[in-house]
Amino acid sequence: MSRQAHGLRAWVLQRFTALYLVLFLAYLLQRFYTFPVQDFAGWQAWIADPLVNLATGLFILSILIHAWVGVRDVVMDYVHHTGVRVAVFAAIALTLTGCGLWSLRVLFLAVIRGSGA
Amino acid sequence: MRFSIYRFDPDKDSQPYMQDYALDEAKIWPGMMLLDALLELKAQDETLSFRRSCQEGVCGSDGMNINGRNGLACITPLASLKTPIELRPLPGQPVIRDLIVDLNQFYSQYRAAKPYLINEDPEPEVERLQSPAEREQLDGLYECILCACCSTSCPSFWWNPDKFLGPAALLQSWRFLADSRDRATDLRLDELEGPFKLFRCHTIMNCVEVCPKGLNPTRAIGRIKELMLKRSM
Repeated sequence: MSRQAHGLRAWVLQRFTALYLVLFLAYLLQRFYTFPVQDFAGWQAWIADPLVNLATGLFILSILIHAWVGVRDVVMDYVHHTGVRVAVFAAIALTLTGCGLWSLRVLFLAVIRGSGA
Repeated sequence: MRFSIYRFDPDKDSQPYMQDYALDEAKIWPGMMLLDALLELKAQDETLSFRRSCQEGVCGSDGMNINGRNGLACITPLASLKTPIELRPLPGQPVIRDLIVDLNQFYSQYRAAKPYLINEDPEPEVERLQSPAEREQLDGLYECILCACCSTSCPSFWWNPDKFLGPAALLQSWRFLADSRDRATDLRLDELEGPFKLFRCHTIMNCVEVCPKGLNPTRAIGRIKELMLKRSM
C-alpha cells in the first residue's frame, strides 16, 4: 500500500462511507416508519429482497470501513509503542473481519431461504 | 490582584510548582495588559522568567497559557481575566524555565513546510507579479506571527509533535500552495502525504479558537486536503 493510501484514501473513504451510512439510515427510518414489520416472517421477506440485501451488505461494509479508519486514527494518536500498536491493529482487524464474515453469512442465508420459500 | 504562576527552574527544582503573587491594585491602570502586570511582578521577583519583546502582539514571543487558554500576554487585557489569574507555559512543550518553553520541535515542523517560494523559472526583469485577486488568496495566511499558540493547543500536536506538522506549519504550507508565484505544488503535496503530517488533523479547531491574529488554520488544512483530492483524480 502506498503512503498516500494511509492518508488521503483513508480520509476520502471515511467521508464517502459516512455519506452512505446517513443515506441508508434515512431509508431504514423511512421504511420502518411507513411500513412497520409485524413479525419474523416479515423481517425475512424484507431482507430476502435482493436489492435490500445488497444495500444492507454495502451498509455493513461501509460501517466496517468507517470504523476501521476511525479506530485506526485513535490508535495512531494514542498508542506510540510499535509492538503494541501492531497488536491493537491486528485485534481490531480481526474483530471487524469477523463481524463482516458473520454479517455476510446472515445476508447470504436470508437470500437462500427467501428464494427457497 | 492575585496570580498563580507556574514555576520551574531545572537547576533548583525537582518538580514544577504553582507560586502565588499579588499585584497592588494601585499599580493597575485602565487598559493594562497582562504583560504589563507580569513586568510589575518581575520587579517584585526577578527570578520570574518569561519571554517578551515588542509588547504589541507582533513578535509572538509572549505566548502562554492564560487561565487555561493559550494567548499573548501583551494583548490580553487584565480586566478580561478571572482572578486568580493562572499562568502556565504553552502546553505540551519542554519547559526551559517558568513560562519559557523549548519551541525547537515547533520550528522544525515549520521548516518542514518549506515556508518560502519555490520557483525555478528564469528570473524576470521585474518582480514576479501577481494580480490583486491572486494576492488576495494570501490574506489570512501571511499574517501568522509564529507565536505557537495554535500548535500547542492542538491535541493532535500534543500526541505526535514529531510527526504531525501542526496548525501553524500547515497554515504556512497552504500559504505557499495558494501563492500564484510558487511552482512546487506537487512537491509540497507529496511531502504532506501519509497518515501523519497532515491527516492527524481531526478538525478539533482549538487552533482557530486561540489564534491571537484571528487566523483559521483549520480552513487552510481543509483547502490542502481538497487540493490533494483534486490532484489525485
